[in-house]
Amino acid sequence: MHGEYKMPGGKLVVVDLDVRDGRIAQIQVSGDFFLEPYSALAAINVALTGQSISADQVTLAAAVQRTLGTQAGMYGVSFEAIAVAVRRALGHGDAA
Amino acid sequence: MNRTFWNDHDWRLIHTAPQTPTLHMALDEVLTAEVGGGRRAPTLRVWEWASPAVVIGCFQSLRNEVDADGARRHGIEVVRRISGGGAMFIEPGNTITYSVCAPLSMVEGLSFQEAYAYMDAWVITALHDLGIDAWYQPLNDIVSPLGKIAGAAQARRGGAVLHHVTMAYDIDAAKMLEVLRIGREKLSDKGTTSAAKRVDPLRSQTGLAREAVIARMVDTFRRHHDLAEDTLRPQELAAAETLARSKFASAAWTGSVP
Repeated sequence: MHGEYKMPGGKLVVVDLDVRDGRIAQIQVSGDFFLEPYSALAAINVALTGQSISADQVTLAAAVQRTLGTQAGMYGVSFEAIAVAVRRALGHGDAA
Repeated sequence: MNRTFWNDHDWRLIHTAPQTPTLHMALDEVLTAEVGGGRRAPTLRVWEWASPAVVIGCFQSLRNEVDADGARRHGIEVVRRISGGGAMFIEPGNTITYSVCAPLSMVEGLSFQEAYAYMDAWVITALHDLGIDAWYQPLNDIVSPLGKIAGAAQARRGGAVLHHVTMAYDIDAAKMLEVLRIGREKLSDKGTTSAAKRVDPLRSQTGLAREAVIARMVDTFRRHHDLAEDTLRPQELAAAETLARSKFASAAWTGSVP
């Protein structure tokens, strides 16, 4: 499943994911945003794996934020923008 | 760490004969590490391309960004760089590309937006010197009244920041659209309906040959910050050639985000 979200004033966030037993089984977040350090992208994917397909935007954003903490740098992307793209990939097309 | 400024450093210029796309990717990584480790002075590297390429950002999906058939049809190599940001379409002579490898202290305490503006400042001056009314437009663009001129990307590695920029000199927009997938979602916030219109060739606004534009830009840099001619050291080139083969030519890296 595929979802995209262009953060206003920011960059494009793309999500490709597979669902199994009501949960995100595999997920790839991508886009033309900037993240520091480089390893932050893999950490985001790990944070979102296993989340319920009914998780709301706040829950998804919080999961990413918990994993990245305050050390990561984000430019053109946000916890919320990633969550919106995930929700869109899950078929919640009206998200944000 | 105390913040440092352009004129706190001794700058080196590297501008060599054309090199392959994978070697350019590797040189960015190697030279940034050398500057970060204090083994090389801060460096401005002007790129010359030996062959066409699509260069995608390190967080971009290969499949989503590149039309593999279109790239193959036009004989265009797809490589992935170490910085984030968007895809660029390169043919020898159609862009001006350069990297600044600087100590991290130059962006110490700055927000990302301030860091981009600061690292691009000399280019804005250079474009003004060339008669172009250009400015930095967040997040990472250099624009003119006639549209986007350039896109920048930064990556912080160890003790250094890599700031590299690709400027549109004379891009075949039709061909670009055959190899890059530029989706509507990406354009929804740009206030434009045509991706082609986002490319504003530097040529039309200067009337100068690409080489002359580069020479004028380097002059501006030298005038403001000093700049000594330099070359790649044999061990730097050897390390980059190894990395070009082992990493940047590998499907594992290029397809790291499939």
